[in-house]
Amino acid sequence: MWDAFGFEFVNFYLIPGLVLGCIYALGAIGITLTFGILRFANFAHGEIMMSGAYLTWTVMAIAGYAGLTLHPLVAMVPATLLVILLFLGTDKFFYKPFRKADTIKVVMASFGMMLIIRSAVQVIWGPNQLTFVRGIAKPNSVLSDVSNDIGMMLIIPNKHLFIFAGTVIIVIALSYLLNRTRIGKAMRAVSDSPDLAHVTGIDVDKVIRATWIVGGICATAAGVFLVMDVQMLETTMGFRMLLPMFAAAILGGIGKPYGAVFGGLVIGLAEELSAYPWIGDTPLLSPGYKTGVAFAIMVIMLIVRPQGLFKGRSF
Amino acid sequence: MKNVLMATAATLLATSAMAEVNIGNPMAMTGPIPDLNAPIAAAVDLAAANINAQGGMFADGETLNIIRADSACDPVAAVDAVTKLINVNGVTAIVGPVCSGAAIAQAESVAIPAGVLTLSVSASSPAITTMEDGTDLVFRAAASDAYQGVALAELAMANGFTDIAVSYANDDYNAAIAEVFVQAYEGMGGTITANEAHEPNKASYRSEVATIGATSENLALFSYYGSGGITLMRNALETGAFTNFIGADGMLSDELIEQIGAENLMTSTFTTSASDASTPSFAAWKAIADEAGVPASDPFVANGYDATFMMALAIEAAGNDGREGLSEHLRAIASAPGEVILPGQWAEAKAILAAGGDINYEGGAGNQDFDENGDVAGNFSKSVIVDGAWAAELIQ
Repeated sequence: MWDAFGFEFVNFYLIPGLVLGCIYALGAIGITLTFGILRFANFAHGEIMMSGAYLTWTVMAIAGYAGLTLHPLVAMVPATLLVILLFLGTDKFFYKPFRKADTIKVVMASFGMMLIIRSAVQVIWGPNQLTFVRGIAKPNSVLSDVSNDIGMMLIIPNKHLFIFAGTVIIVIALSYLLNRTRIGKAMRAVSDSPDLAHVTGIDVDKVIRATWIVGGICATAAGVFLVMDVQMLETTMGFRMLLPMFAAAILGGIGKPYGAVFGGLVIGLAEELSAYPWIGDTPLLSPGYKTGVAFAIMVIMLIVRPQGLFKGRSF
Repeated sequence: MKNVLMATAATLLATSAMAEVNIGNPMAMTGPIPDLNAPIAAAVDLAAANINAQGGMFADGETLNIIRADSACDPVAAVDAVTKLINVNGVTAIVGPVCSGAAIAQAESVAIPAGVLTLSVSASSPAITTMEDGTDLVFRAAASDAYQGVALAELAMANGFTDIAVSYANDDYNAAIAEVFVQAYEGMGGTITANEAHEPNKASYRSEVATIGATSENLALFSYYGSGGITLMRNALETGAFTNFIGADGMLSDELIEQIGAENLMTSTFTTSASDASTPSFAAWKAIADEAGVPASDPFVANGYDATFMMALAIEAAGNDGREGLSEHLRAIASAPGEVILPGQWAEAKAILAAGGDINYEGGAGNQDFDENGDVAGNFSKSVIVDGAWAAELIQ
């Protein structure tokens, strides 16, 4: 019989919820920025995440041939540059021609982009699953020993510590960018009112490029963190994250990066905690239905408070 | 103008139909089980190659053409793929859908309404037995999980598990086999400590594992390896929630060893549909498969060959590539009476059919005699890790 370690809630519900929340949060940042600044729902965002993870895998594999074992977080750096190029390329050739057209056209273009990217990845890397790291991840022994001494044994594998640390660093860097730099302030201005920003002399094209770059960094990080967590890559993994990430962006308020982070954490936690046996011994909600929690939150938000918790744009 | 177009389209269809016989072959090329699917698809192609090398279809030696589409082990993708095969390619029949959910959806929404015969290579959900509703249009070359679920329950008992927790993916195949397993296991006196569905394709199953992990140290896991099975197993191993694992077809893949590592799978046993290697029909199949480099004993690979071969025999027996009445011919060529035909004996079968005789195909996967529901009986094997690879053993 399995010993629940006496600290079951934190180890098996709270921490997994936070890990998932971090991944949703990073993905939602890109979605909310594109939505806020470019004014369209970018369906290809999940596939960008996925292709970032595949590129990271490729960098690791190439380094592996050369006898180097790279940590995914290191291999992520060159992969991120490629993803940014991919983002800028798709913008130039697929989204820019529609900039002045109806929103629905560019949304459809992004939908097409989603299918193109996924098929391209299937052609290049094949439909089979790939794996980052073989085997199973044991909990960090130092952490579990120390926490066990004070009676609250924490079971956290190293990969989760990396994910937490990486997310915190990216969010701090993002907040510096948005609050302290010129381009960040310009991004916020365009998000609030593109016409007003334009007449004050802000270079909107430059802001759009910056948006794709920030979105690309966050998307690659989200993709790589997701793969570090589940330890495998498959071609539909980005698409499967897309709807919870949209739910997170809407919950936080469209165009609000902090809202996206908060929304991501709430959605991740809500999904995991809904299966906790809050009342009695049985799960509050059968774990088979936890995907529905994200949608339920999204639908309720859209009805009750369409501008989101952080007063984003409402459509 | 419209008439001209119609006439042109009709001529195009007629000319292509005269040149070759088309069979639609939706397979799970992408999706959660590409690894399992690849050798089955190779077996389908091998059957077509054998047939074309031995005189092709009908008296004038028409080419048997396999038109492949991607059903992605997904009901929606399968409906799209089969709609295209039936309406655009105008195929005579469907040999395919690998997964039960895909096979059921395409049959209900497309193939049955269009009057097209489906012969699935590996869909094993018990729900398929009764779904045809008198149309006699859905057959399969793999045994129903109504039997495999029971075989798995017997295996659990033989391994000495007196209690077990069940986790199944929420789809047609996994939910159905889990239900059969639970019934059979409880009937044998076992205790089901938890029986929970899990949603496929989640990034984490830690809360699922935690919820059911406290109840037993044995887990019966029904899932596709590529859509959550591996992740759930990894989460269970990482947290030490379960010690022993059993499961069925969907999990039995080299991918599992590749990702989790053989050393972590020493307490896992998975069953699958298997061939009785002692029969002459299996020997004939193995000779063909070995020569072509197709893994003869992998799950459902022999079934893929058998399904294609039988469908071609049925069309040959019908004498034309029309869709009407094909199911009667399929039954006739698959069961007694008649001359026994083994895998690869296309020329012999063709000669007997041309002379007006009866044949009885015995496949590599089993005798392939369809019952009134279009189901076949079958054998099962259990696989455990030996020397870092799956080693199968027939369950008697």
